[in-house]
Amino acid sequence: MADTAAPVRVTDCGCATPFGDAAATHAALLRGERALVPARVLGKEGGDPVPLALIPGRTLDEDAPPGWLPTVRRLAASMPEGDWGSPRRPVFVTGSNFGVGGLYALRRSGDLAFAAWGAPPTCTERLREDLGWGPDVSILSHACVSAHLGLLEASRAVESGLAEEALVLSFDFLSPFVAGGFHALKILNADFPAPYRERPSGAIGLGDGAAFAVLSRGRGEWVLEGQSLFNEMHHFTSNQPDASGFTECLGPVAAAARGRRIWFKGHGTGTLEAGRMEVRAAAQAFPGSPLVGWKGSLGHTLGSCGLVELAIAIESVKAGRTPGTIGDEAPAMGDNVAFSGFANGEFDGVVCASNAFGGAHAAFLLTHA
Amino acid sequence: MPDPLIPRLKQLIVETLRLEDVTPADIADSEPLLGGGLSLDSIDALELVVRLEKEFGIKIASSEEARSAMASVASLAAYVRERGDPSRLPS
Amino acid sequence: MPEMHIQSVFTDEGRDQTPAEIRERLRGGYPPGATRRMTTLGLMVGSTLSRLEPGVEDAIVYATGYAESCALEGFLDSFPTPSPTLFQTSIHPSGVQQLLIGRQRAVRELLPLSGGPLLGFHALRAAFLSRSARVLLCGGEERGTWLLDYGLASDRTFAFAAALTRESGGAPAGRATLTRAEGAGELGLAEWFDLLHGRRGFDGMVAPGWRLELEWHASPT
Repeated sequence: MADTAAPVRVTDCGCATPFGDAAATHAALLRGERALVPARVLGKEGGDPVPLALIPGRTLDEDAPPGWLPTVRRLAASMPEGDWGSPRRPVFVTGSNFGVGGLYALRRSGDLAFAAWGAPPTCTERLREDLGWGPDVSILSHACVSAHLGLLEASRAVESGLAEEALVLSFDFLSPFVAGGFHALKILNADFPAPYRERPSGAIGLGDGAAFAVLSRGRGEWVLEGQSLFNEMHHFTSNQPDASGFTECLGPVAAAARGRRIWFKGHGTGTLEAGRMEVRAAAQAFPGSPLVGWKGSLGHTLGSCGLVELAIAIESVKAGRTPGTIGDEAPAMGDNVAFSGFANGEFDGVVCASNAFGGAHAAFLLTHA
Repeated sequence: MPDPLIPRLKQLIVETLRLEDVTPADIADSEPLLGGGLSLDSIDALELVVRLEKEFGIKIASSEEARSAMASVASLAAYVRERGDPSRLPS
Repeated sequence: MPEMHIQSVFTDEGRDQTPAEIRERLRGGYPPGATRRMTTLGLMVGSTLSRLEPGVEDAIVYATGYAESCALEGFLDSFPTPSPTLFQTSIHPSGVQQLLIGRQRAVRELLPLSGGPLLGFHALRAAFLSRSARVLLCGGEERGTWLLDYGLASDRTFAFAAALTRESGGAPAGRATLTRAEGAGELGLAEWFDLLHGRRGFDGMVAPGWRLELEWHASPT
């Protein structure tokens, strides 16, 4: 496998959240705004109130064609043009839920119009046709580390010389299927998330999100280094009590960052045990690095979170200011937690980390070329 | 006098969690439900919560509360007695 | 990137068995009580993958187009009181996690793929791009019920696991080579399974611009 000296770079990156594009999202986070609002967990069928953040104009209940399609089309319109989906420009689509909102609607209504986008292969194929891409569109799906895997595969395709450029598209839009599932796990409840805050019980919020990145070699301002994965396989919903999974994943990233001053964009959903472990592991691997998490505002954007938050991290470096951890107030789980925004000009880079069910961990170092 | 709720809870545990080769009589009242001999975990606890909420009208708000209620069958029975709809509880 | 050696292959073609029959056939390979939450796909992928004895530094590429169809059907049918177990079980890559969590077997690199007509090729490509010395390429499908009626599930049940290495080692069972070529083609997951299960050689296009040569050396393990 070819492995030349030129590192893989992000040449373009963008996102769509309830606040808007990456710049608008960054600005809203700097102002301390929260996209999460109370909403009924089962949409039009009611249920308990839970914190959700939907793209404006979308409802939790799905439409046919999907109500999220215009958002993805707008995002695609901001991508650089190219023969995406050709052998030299493969596309890596990542997410966790794809068109599952349509499946929910199909089962409740029996309306066949919802079937077309219901499964990941059919959803992606419909999207491919809609956006005019060629056939080389692969799907990586691993819950909340999906976007990181897309970036890793795209990086490898470019590094090996297999691809001239690679496009990663990541999206996850909410539905009663997803909200109902997390509510059944008792981690999505009436409380709003406060990532990295010590309190008696934890809670998450969920949000819509979509993002893209174009990777190439030698072009672009942003360098991806130290991409690292680890899968604990300890339990579906909890981690090894000694936080070894976090440490195993961050080790290679810390090695890549050695000698550089780093800030840390964590996963931070608002759950307690994982939050404590992440705070501790980040402090050990990156002593002195401020830790932030933005899911207290945006909600957890699930399969898209790694790429949505990368787009915001890039915007933060461009703007010279990193938004703080919204939804947070003392006592924090550790001294490294940054409640407030801070100037980032003196930092050399940012570590971006995400975690997922099954004790899956993913992280990388982003620096400015 | 034995609480009639306890055998009902044991039946629900075996049925809901599809325990293989375990009968309700095999479960001791003081048996820890999580981390004990039944090898149940937090997902099992939550699945049981869904069933209990439907059957007895209780409402468990968080995963921490679920874990606390399920220290044993006896503690679960006490929790359900305290918070359940009286009309749905065996007397 | 061009070639990888197939050290071992294990396949399970489902034998047209019902989920209950498959469970009865395979449950003996798991500890008592371990299979009560496992899906058909999880049991079959687990049974084939476990024979390769995954290690922490192996890369696992796990491919399935429709994943846990029956858990998905069950979860959808559990509303308005959704089942947390079925929700959890329906999330990709549950099929391979069921085995590895059951055995508390960590793995550094796990790449779960989904897809349609090119899924066989994309899974192979992911294996070829991995930097691990040994890549375990596994996957399969479980037949759906009502989702199948809408064309949203597989109509076949099968599973496979193959150990691929860059070094040839002692006596590999086969060799796969991916090269650039003019032309078009498709290799889906079921087609890839059929090649493995039947130990069939292949030389042809598997995706636009990509050619696969698959050859078998001797009776595989």
